[in-house]
Order: sequence, then structure tokens, then C-alpha cells
Amino acid sequence: MTQAQNAHVTGTASGNPANGPASDKDKALEVATPPSNKGEHSQPRAKHDSADDNVLIRGLRVAGRSFATVWSVPKARFGIILFSLIILIAIFAPVLSPYNPKQTGFETNAQPSLSHLLGTTASGQDVFSQLIWGGRISVMVAMIAGILSTALAVVIGLSWGYIKSFGGEFVGFIVNLFLVIPQLPLMIVIASYLQNGGMKVIILVIVFTGWAWGSRVLRSQTQSLRSRDFVTAAAFSGDSAARIIFHEIFPNMLSLIINNFFGAATSAALAEAGLEFLGLGDSTTISWGTMIYWAQNNGVILTGQWALLLAPGLMIALLAVSMTFINFGVDRLSNPRLREGSSR
Amino acid sequence: MRYYLGKIGLFLLTLWAAITVNFLLPRMMPGSPADAAIAKLSQNGPVTPEMRASIEAQLGVPTGNPFQQYIQYLNDVVHLNFGISYSNFPQSVSSLVSTALPWTLVLVGTVTILSFIIGTMLGAAMAWKRGSLVDATGSVSSSFFSAFPPFWLALLLLFFLGYVAKAFPTSGAYAATSVPNLSWSFLVDALYHSILPGLTILITSLGSWVMGMRNNMINTLGDDYVTFAEANGLHQRTVMLRYAARNALLPNLTSFGLVLGGVVGGSLLVEQVFSYPGIGMLLFQAVTNQDYPLMQALFLMITVSVLVANFIVDILYGVLDPRTRR
Amino acid sequence: MSLLHIDHLSIEYDTPGTEPVKAVHDVNVDLEQGEFVGLVGESGSGKSTLGFAITALSRPPARVSEGKVIFDGVDISTLNQEELRKQRRGGFAMVLQSGMNALNPVRTIRNHFMDIFKAHEHVQKDRREARAKELIEKVGLPANTLNRYPGELSGGMRQRVSIALALSLDPKLMVFDEPTTALDVLVQHEVMNTIRELQKSEGFTAILISHDLGIVLESTQRVLVMHNGRIVEDASSREILEHPKDDYTKMLLSHYGDPRAEHVSVPGLRTRENANEAYKENAHAEDNRTALTVSHITKIYPAHKRGDGEVRAVDDVSFTLDPGQSLALVGASGSGKSTIAKMITAVENPTSGVITLGSKHIEKMHRGRDLRALRSDIQMVFQDPYAALNPLHNVEYILSRPILNYTKLKGSAARNRMLELLEFVGLTPVEQFAAKLPHQLSGGQRQRVVIARALASDPKVLIADEPVSMLDMTLRAGILALLDDLRVRLNVSMLYITHDLLSARLITDNIMVLNQGHVVERGETSKVLQHPHDDYTISLLDAIPKLQVGEQA
Repeated sequence: MTQAQNAHVTGTASGNPANGPASDKDKALEVATPPSNKGEHSQPRAKHDSADDNVLIRGLRVAGRSFATVWSVPKARFGIILFSLIILIAIFAPVLSPYNPKQTGFETNAQPSLSHLLGTTASGQDVFSQLIWGGRISVMVAMIAGILSTALAVVIGLSWGYIKSFGGEFVGFIVNLFLVIPQLPLMIVIASYLQNGGMKVIILVIVFTGWAWGSRVLRSQTQSLRSRDFVTAAAFSGDSAARIIFHEIFPNMLSLIINNFFGAATSAALAEAGLEFLGLGDSTTISWGTMIYWAQNNGVILTGQWALLLAPGLMIALLAVSMTFINFGVDRLSNPRLREGSSR
Repeated sequence: MRYYLGKIGLFLLTLWAAITVNFLLPRMMPGSPADAAIAKLSQNGPVTPEMRASIEAQLGVPTGNPFQQYIQYLNDVVHLNFGISYSNFPQSVSSLVSTALPWTLVLVGTVTILSFIIGTMLGAAMAWKRGSLVDATGSVSSSFFSAFPPFWLALLLLFFLGYVAKAFPTSGAYAATSVPNLSWSFLVDALYHSILPGLTILITSLGSWVMGMRNNMINTLGDDYVTFAEANGLHQRTVMLRYAARNALLPNLTSFGLVLGGVVGGSLLVEQVFSYPGIGMLLFQAVTNQDYPLMQALFLMITVSVLVANFIVDILYGVLDPRTRR
Repeated sequence: MSLLHIDHLSIEYDTPGTEPVKAVHDVNVDLEQGEFVGLVGESGSGKSTLGFAITALSRPPARVSEGKVIFDGVDISTLNQEELRKQRRGGFAMVLQSGMNALNPVRTIRNHFMDIFKAHEHVQKDRREARAKELIEKVGLPANTLNRYPGELSGGMRQRVSIALALSLDPKLMVFDEPTTALDVLVQHEVMNTIRELQKSEGFTAILISHDLGIVLESTQRVLVMHNGRIVEDASSREILEHPKDDYTKMLLSHYGDPRAEHVSVPGLRTRENANEAYKENAHAEDNRTALTVSHITKIYPAHKRGDGEVRAVDDVSFTLDPGQSLALVGASGSGKSTIAKMITAVENPTSGVITLGSKHIEKMHRGRDLRALRSDIQMVFQDPYAALNPLHNVEYILSRPILNYTKLKGSAARNRMLELLEFVGLTPVEQFAAKLPHQLSGGQRQRVVIARALASDPKVLIADEPVSMLDMTLRAGILALLDDLRVRLNVSMLYITHDLLSARLITDNIMVLNQGHVVERGETSKVLQHPHDDYTISLLDAIPKLQVGEQA
């Protein structure tokens, strides 16, 4: 029998457990936010320790399960391994690189050889060492910009979604404006006014132009969560708006937030490379973006030193790919339909 | 009707906001972009009071009256008067922009539409054959290629297909020996020159459509109307296209406008690699020469083009989704 | 030869990486041409899984592990995709549970019909329009419905359209999977009437899958009772009603009652007389608890669209709820009963009118300290116990929030209070339940946690919004008994919001019937339900399946 082609799961109708796929995902955050009993009703420390233990163990178990779910997706597994490798290389750059990346004095424009695996630059630096060191900047920018713009997206998205009076329409308009104004041109314009501001400026520009998408996604999730009965129930239990946001809503969006983080970090890595390629970064630092910038400036295409172009670009692509692939797994935590019944 | 009126209103409001952002941006920057611009301009010859006022309106000076400048700025924008470019002295900014804009619009516009269509069809097919080899290869490769920095892929294609294989021209939008005209041979030549940059933009933008459509369609395939259509014994083709894909298309269209900005951004860098005489290369020139009037005008043009494209998509959405008609 | 022969059918849910779960065990059924059969079971019994297998719509991870389904002499598992597709004309058709979502939102109703006609070409091109019209009228809809998009139709209309579409296939067998569950009570009744009439006039064989034995007995001639994946009883409807053999069937039947009867009782619940007796025995002092008074409240919502009039959701409603009293607020959806609950809990403010609890005025409260104090006095029990508990928090956390927020208890005293609450709602051993997460609890247990949470602040008024409608029949009595107990033991007054008149009869003394924001009838629950005066009350009562065999049996 040839199977029907589509891949949906038929409604098992009865007792479809609401606590199935959608819920394990959400729990991981318990680890990050152990109930911080602030305020007038805080409990004596001694008592709460045992409960904290419970929460911690439970949280760890849940985090472990979520990780297992992500890990069970082959693409995500590949992404995690690749991502860890890139991070490790960046951390251990001093140990791994054969030469100081800024050391000049080798033969210039050398083709790859045993002593210089990827050849040398026009100013006689070892390309392989630069490649290893260059990851530090790219990874750092991606991580910091990813974290900051996710944080901004979370704060704006959650408050915009939860608090009705939070100038709703106006915030919505601003977010939409940031969404439609093309990000890279805006970055280029800002970065060009702030010439030679260095890494800090690049990161700030990326964050400033990159938070809008995440805040919109998180806002709509917040809105759908805030209409859930357990949020209303928390209000009836006397919890404050802030506590509801951080204890009821926020943990239920963790997978979306992680998803948003890797998305933002990916586009930050690409944007950073783009800005440096245009010469808008600090061209004296060694990063994958500046390597391509110098390679192109020195006309390696004409000299045939393709490794100078290929290698740093490939590393940027691999960094971006690894994070995109991790998100494949994270997607499954947040969208049960992507998880179920994948075989055909 | 209300839907369209709302969209037109929102478009006008956003347009105004974008123009205003363009006005505020240089004013929020440290230093005085206007003074820098006037200084540069004076290297080319005397600066008339009119030119000075126009630059001040565009870039702002701390001493001026911002409201007056804003009015003049709006007036300048309406008349497409963006002053003189000093990196291309004595050409006016608007004439530079109007020469470059068609190249970008045609290249990026065509490739984006093409990429949307191909990507959407591919994504739909992958969702339909979910878990198959097509799906697995498709989703791996599309996310792989979409993670490529566009300018890097451009450099690779340029190097391998342009310099090594010598199969394609390595720079420009047409042969250096010819002058733009509407003859058949010129169009063929232009098309030939646009293949590499077009291919780059296509490859790097395809992935987001493919994955967007695939995920949307996996969702719609789980919807009850698809099960019911199947229970009614409709042709598989009908179920796939008119039921699952048709509904999955709508959210994909919504993200069209948002992804478009990214595609445009990426293509700017691609143009610079291929020395393609469009907006991107002009922007690069403006940036390297700190030609602020040109840069501001280009940024405005890019933003407005994206807004207009978004607006068109919104209107199209209204046509495709009966729920907006009420 | 029988039309449908199910032979030792077993179905498993086989998710990669986990043990397969058997949803259907060894089912054997024969169906004759023209029969109307009911398939009854509670959630998780496997009834829908079986329905999907019969119509060859099972999808992974569901998998037929043993046995076969023979329809009209053909084993349907041997059909290839195209043969199966063709078989769906003049073969078996299905009407889905969520018929509201069974229509493609971007196609007109006419196009839905045309898609089917094109797929099977069983209606001549020039006859198609007429046939579509004929079908749509058959299910009681006007012909111009064909021009509409699904989004423009109400839930009941959409379900009728699905039935018409299924009918357009000229099926020999129609499977109705909970066709009315998602609909409003009155609409439910009408749609069931249409299904019954069609079955008679068109003469198709029908399977009605439902969790409601009442609906099934009223419509069908034969009933299959399903429990834990097995058919535990297969007999004529009369037989099932009068001489049920299986214990499970007997148990199901015992939970039905007619709210119009003089005496109504359900196992596990004391009668009203006994309850009131017990209340008096508990000798509640005339304590400082005070009555909830609602006088002349009206809620007007602005128009949804330009051109529409404003919506009067609640129109001049007044009542008083004394300590220890229980009042039922009944009506179909849209009658305004939930809006009243929102106004009493100050989630929304009335357009006009006054609500007081003792000396506190509720009608103008917004936020802040007053609202907080109010919430400790007025608490809610929510409809859906699956949605009312955050999946991430354990029972201890959930219950300790209101204790810490509203009482002066701290540390071990707070914890003891939490355990006391668990004990009160019958979740013992308490220590074990305190550590559990919501997904480790059954629906009934979850609802007990929800009730415990509502009690934590020692409230004066409890608003229970359809607290048992999401629960299986057999679990309802326990929750209702608990709610009734609160009144007796804690002197809490309860506003019980429901569309289910039987449960209203079982646990309330007074009743108010709401229709479109107006109170149409009020009084003592037993009197009003035994001798209703208003037409709307009568139609609500008529819509209840009577637990009697329909005329066709």
C-alpha cells in the first residue's frame, strides 16, 4: 500500500495530553530562575533550602530532558558538536596556533606549505594562526550581541505582551518600523558615522538594529500565554505582575528565547563580518571579517591565494551553520508538530 | 475595504517615520556630520549659502533651528533634492541615485521574486514528502547555504567561475565597451553580467523561504481541513496545493516583507564584490569617502523601496486571504 | 454479508524511541447496512483511534498492529492510495470532532463542494451547482451559504456544512466523531436532530462516536461501549439501558440523571436535603462573613465593527448570595454568565450597577491593594484543569503562592497549611502530592489542586466556572461532591456557572437562567427545573439527552 503522502498526526482525539511535548521544553528555566522569594512574605531561609533543592534537581532533570530532545535531532547534534569545536578553538587559540597571528616577517603571499598551512598574507603573517585567533572576535561578537539583543527582545516583548497599557500601539509601531527598515544599510550608516569605534560600536549597532524581530515573536507568545488560565490563576493567588511575568510566563517561553538567541547570534556573526568586510570595523584587529577585507584589498583573487578568502569565510559560515542547526532541535521543543510523526 | 485603508494609512505613517528617522539619524551622531560635509564640499570649490542650507537641513547643525530644518528637509525630500555629492563632484546626489537605482531594483527585485517562488515551491514539496530524502537534503542544504555570508559566496563565485573558469564576467553590469541602451545585444550582455550576482543573492536568500514554507506547511498539514479533505477523497494534488500549501503561503507572505530587508542588505555587499553599478556599490563609495549626503539619500531610497515592496505584499495578502475582506 | 467487518483489530501508537502503546485491543464488530450504532467511551478509551482506522485515516504514529477492517467485502489495508481515494465516494465518510476547523478558510463553501465533485466526477458538470444547493438545504442551511467563506459561519453552521460535504460522497457508512462536542448546548441538540433525520431519510449506515451515553442512546439502535481500548459491551440500546451487563456500562449509566425528575441522585453525591441537613448541623455562627450583593449590573461592549450595534452582554441583573448559599447561573454560551463572573472578580467593571461584598464596593475596582484584598475573599475555580495549572510548577509551589500572599503564615506554618489543604481536597498522601507536577496528575486530581488553591486564602465566595465540563462523566461526581462539601464545612458561598442543568440540580439550591444577558427565570433549583416557565429554560431542558432509547430503536 502506498502511503498517503502527507505527514500529519491524526487527532488521537481522546485525552490528548496537554502536558506532552509542549511542556517539557518549558521547564528548563527553573534552573535559571529559582524562586527568589523577595518581598514581604519571604520565607525563612532554612525552610526554603529543601524546596530549592527540589526545584534545582527538578530543573536540572528537565534541562537534561530538553537537551536530550535537542540532541536526538541529528542536525542539532551536528550543530552542537560543531559549535563546541569552534568555541574550543577560540578559547585555546594561544595553544593551538603555531605562530603569533600578528607576527610579520614571513615570506609574503606564500602559497600553502607545511610550515604555513594556509599560506601567508601580503604583509607576511601566517594565515592559519590568524584563522584560529580570528574566531575569538567573531564568536565573542556573536555571543554578546546575541545575548544583548535577546535580552532587549525579552524585556520589550514580555512587557509589551503582558501589560496592556504599555503604550501598546506605539510600541507596536516602533517595533514594526525597526522591522521594515533594512538592518544592514542602517548598520552601515550608523557605523560609518561612528568611524573607528571598535568592537563596542559594532556590537551596539548590531543590537540596536536587531532586537525587533525577537520582541515581536516573544510578544505574541506572551499574549497567548497571558490569556491562559494559569496566568489568571496566579493573579488570583495574589502574585504581582512582575512575578507573573518571570515565574509563570517567562519559563514557558524558554525554548523560544533560546531559539531567538541563536537566531540573533547567527545574524550578528554575519553582520559583523559584513561590516568588517566593508572596512567599517577595526581593521587592525584580527577577525574572520577583517581577514576577508584584507584579502580582497590585497587582490588575492588575482594572485590565486584562494585560501585567504575561502578559509575565513568558511569559518563564518560554519559558525552560522552550527547555530542554525542547533535551532533545528530547539524548534522541536517549541513546536510539537515539527516533532511528531516525522517518518513517511 | 477597511483592510486596505488601514494598510494605506499604515504605509503612509511608516513612510513618514522612516523619512524622519533619516532626518534624525545624523543629528544623533557625535561630532558634526554637516560641518564635515561642508568642509569636504569646499575642497571642490565655493559653497553657496543655498548648498549650505540644504546640507544643514539634511545633516543638521547644533546651532540651527531644527524645526525649520525639518521643514526644509521634507521639502527637499519631496523634490528629490539631496544636494551635491562631493565624492562624485559636481554631480547631484539624485542623479547618481537615479542612475544606480534601476540596476539594483531590477536585479534584486527579479531575484527576490524568483527566490520566493522557487523557495516556496521547494518548501511545500519538502513538507509534503516530509522525512524523505528530498526533505532531508533540502533542509540541510538550504539552512547551510543561508548561513553563508553573501559577500563571501560572491567572492567564491567570482574567483572560481569568473577568474578560474573564466565562464562569467568579473565586474560591472555590462561590457565596458558598450553604452546602456535597449538593444537586444545589450540586454543579453546585461543578463550575462547579472548571472553571478543574481546567483549569489538567490542561493543565500533561498533558504529562508524554503524553511519558512516547510515549517508552515507542516503546520497546515496537521490542520483538520486537510484531514477532512483527504477523508473526502480529493485528489492528492488538490489537497497539497489548494488546501495545505495555499494556507501555508499566507504566513510565508507575511514574512516576505521582513526577509526582504535582509536580502536587500546582503545584495548591497554582493554588488560591491562584483562592482555592479547599483545602489550597493554607490553606498560603499559613499561610506568609504564619508560622502554623507549621498549616504543619507541612499539609505532613504533603500528604506523607501523596502517599504513600497512591503506595501505591495500587504495588498496582495488582502487579495489572497478572504478573512481580511470583512 | 455485513457492510463493515472489523476482525481482531488492534492499533498501537508507535513513536520512535518509546515503547509502543496499545490504544485499541482486539476489536471485533459487524455492522449491517442501515444500522445506526453508537461508540461510547471516555477520553483515552480508543474510540476515536478506532474511528480513524475504520475510515482509513490512521496516520503515524498510529499503526494497525493486528487484524483488519473489511468494508463491503474488501480489506481496506490492501487498497492502494488511488483505490482508497476512489473508495471514499460511495464508501465511508467521516465527520470530524472539530468540524469547525474542518473547512479550508480560504475557499468558499461552493468550492468545497466543487472540489469533491471534481475529484470523483460522480455528478454531471451541469448538475453540480444544483446538487450542492440541494445538499446544503438538506442540512438546514440557506442556499446562499455556498457563497460564504468558513470564517463567516458560526460553529454549528460549519458543522452542518461538513455533514453536507460528507453526504455529497453518497457514503454507505458515515462515521461521526463527537460531531457536536465543540458546539453550544442548544446547537448541539439541533445538529443531532439533523443527523438523525438524515440517517433516516438517506439510509446510510452510521457510527456515532461520543463520550456522552445519553446522546448515543437517544439516537442509536445499538451501542458499543469502549473502555481502555476494548469493546466491553455490544448490545442494543434498549438492552444497554435496561439490562447493562458490564460493570463499566453500569457505572456510566449511574452517572446520568434527569434534572426534571422529582428526586435526582448520583452515586457519590448526597442529596440536597442531606446536604442542607449537614449544613445546619455544622452550626455556622452568624459570623462576620457577609453577603455578595449584585444590583442592576449592566455591561455594554462597544461594537465589534463599524455599523454593528453595541453589545449588551449583561442587562440589569441583580441577585444576592448569602454565606453558605449556592447559586447556579445557567445559560448557553453568550448568555452573559461568564461576563458576570468577570465583573464580580473585578476583572472587568460593569457599565452601570453596584456590586458589593459586605461593605466593599467591587464595581469600580481596578488594581492595587483593594483588588488584592478582594481576591482573597473571592476566588475562582477554572473550567479547564489542564490549562489552570502552570506545567512547570509543582503542587507545593502552586498552593504556597496564595498562602504566602494572603495569609500571615510563613515557613513551616505555611507548609502545614498547604498540606492541610491537600488533605481537605482529598489528595493523600499529602507529601507525595505536594511534590508532583501537574502532568503527573489526572484531570480530576488537577481540578482538586485548583480547588485547593482557591481555598488557600480562606475566601468567602467561590466562583466555579463550569468546573466539571472538561472532565469525564465518572470523575464529575467526586468534584461536585467536594464543591458541595466546601459550603457545608467552610460556609463558603458558591456561584456555580454552568450550562449543565443536571449538575446545577445536584449541588445548588437556587438558580438563575440567563438568556442574552437577561435573567429569564429564577428560583429554587429543584422547583425551576421541575416546573420551568420560560421557553428558554424549557428548550435548555429539552436539549438534554434523556437517557432513554430513541424512537428508532
